[in-house]
Amino acid sequence: MTLLSDTRYVFIRYMRKLVRNPILLFFSLFQPILFLALFTQLLGRLSNFPGVLPVGVSYLEFAAAGILLQNAFGSALQSGNSIVADIDSGFLHKMLVTPMSRPAILLGRLASDAFRVVVQTAIILALAYGIGAAENSPFTVNTGVIGILLIFFTIAFFGLAWSGISLALGMKTRSAETVFAIGGVITFPLLFLSSALLPINFLPGWVQTVSKFNPVSYAVDACRVLMINGYDWGTILPAWGVIGLVAVITLGATLYQFRKVVS
Amino acid sequence: MSRPLMSDIITVKNLVEVYSDGTKAVDDISFSVAEGEFFGFLGPNGAGKSTTIKILTTLLRKTSGTVTVAGFDVEKQAAAIRRIIGVQSQDTTVDGDLTGRENIMLQGHFHQMKTDEIKKRVNELLKLVGLEEAAEKRARNYSGGMKKRLDLATALVHKPKILFLDEPTTGLDPQSRSAIWTYLEKLNREEGITIFLTTQYLEEADKLCKRLSIIDKGKIVASGSPAELKREIGADSIRISLENCKKDNAKAKELIKTLNDVNEIIDSEECLTVFAKNAGLLIADIVRALDSSDIRIASVTFSSPSLDDVFIKHTGKRIRTEELVKAPSAMLGGRR
Repeated sequence: MTLLSDTRYVFIRYMRKLVRNPILLFFSLFQPILFLALFTQLLGRLSNFPGVLPVGVSYLEFAAAGILLQNAFGSALQSGNSIVADIDSGFLHKMLVTPMSRPAILLGRLASDAFRVVVQTAIILALAYGIGAAENSPFTVNTGVIGILLIFFTIAFFGLAWSGISLALGMKTRSAETVFAIGGVITFPLLFLSSALLPINFLPGWVQTVSKFNPVSYAVDACRVLMINGYDWGTILPAWGVIGLVAVITLGATLYQFRKVVS
Repeated sequence: MSRPLMSDIITVKNLVEVYSDGTKAVDDISFSVAEGEFFGFLGPNGAGKSTTIKILTTLLRKTSGTVTVAGFDVEKQAAAIRRIIGVQSQDTTVDGDLTGRENIMLQGHFHQMKTDEIKKRVNELLKLVGLEEAAEKRARNYSGGMKKRLDLATALVHKPKILFLDEPTTGLDPQSRSAIWTYLEKLNREEGITIFLTTQYLEEADKLCKRLSIIDKGKIVASGSPAELKREIGADSIRISLENCKKDNAKAKELIKTLNDVNEIIDSEECLTVFAKNAGLLIADIVRALDSSDIRIASVTFSSPSLDDVFIKHTGKRIRTEELVKAPSAMLGGRR
């Protein structure tokens, strides 16, 4: 089927570009490491204060899910950047004058985003395990291998929803700077006004209210229960629902912009 | 749907393109290109050349008019057209992160060719454009001329019937330019590929195109073979310098005046300039006449009217070409 094989070749192209750009590769791999190391070192002592974190949970265990989400944000923002580059260079037109499947152009990009964020997630989890072992407060994912796969799925799904925003912005504005500026402005409030990095009951009342409507909180909570508690479907399924809703909106906007660019 | 005559592979009737801001980029043009022809659009920047090529290659929707490529309607049957055309756009669009070979392979995959088939074809193409040695290097490290040649190779991977080239040599040094010209002539002559080329270089249009249209401000102002167009201008010129111009000038004029087909004789820098319809044929007569009267000739030069003269005649201005030295900055700023 041409959609699948075309998607595959677009995917391979982006993978090659990623691997062959040392700076991009460096930031892709080290950004998550940096975040994890920084936050756990800065806020690690929170667990010394009784009542802040759930009993028996280290800050590392608590924050790992938030770091995963933060990393997914950063990765997804680069997606819009790549489409701007392809429009500017004329490479998009080069694809469009061939009989290749149009959706494959987007799907290949999204697949490469998803793949990258899963690899980064694996790195963060492995590193968290290492830090946990070194500090004598073991970090494990309680739900095991299947839980890890579900975390990969949740993060990749969230990443795609977020790629949709940067892709739509990229095609609308045709400016990588604008994508980063707007992306940054949206990302940080969403991250800090959520349960990603600090326990919800530790935050001011209005932030708690905002947090309840923040899709980031849902995604973080789903990953967190898989790490700490178990298969709490009452948390996981609503999270997927919320991410799905965001994805419908952002990828819908992407598709709309793509149609305008293509025709 | 009725097919046009097989001999016309591209037909354009009353094509109009109005941009959303109201700019009329293409203003009611009609032309056709025969199968196997090397056809050119000559015009300055912003004349409507790229817009026309974008419509012909299914990238841009026309505002009105009828356009068919290989008998297919450019909008209703765009998919069929994409299978048989190769396109090289004005911007050099090779992926710098991929090697030369990978760039061509990728384009072959986009054309849904079989991998074995592409591999064979890639070797042929690398040889054709002289990039065999650089094939495994990343295109980022190629020179401007090499990138253009690679771009051309990617446009040829699926053996297109028609090749569209939007200013294929803009910004190149003369050496790279003449290399590209050689490949294009070879493709047209040996493989019978129909070539539609746009250019702002008179020399390029003159050398390559069997037939061309001159386009300015969205309108076609003249069409024909380069020779036909220049013939419209009227006369060729023969510049004659004599060993002893002062002494022989008057006598030489008398002699030349008696020859057939001479339009006008004037005194010029060299000594004399003769305007005539068919200067090539006249030169021998002039030399013979002067020689038999013992007038010694120092040199004879002959020149045809240029396409520049044609452009001036139809638009009242010279075609303004970006200088080679300015090309890099123009390429940076000129993107739309």
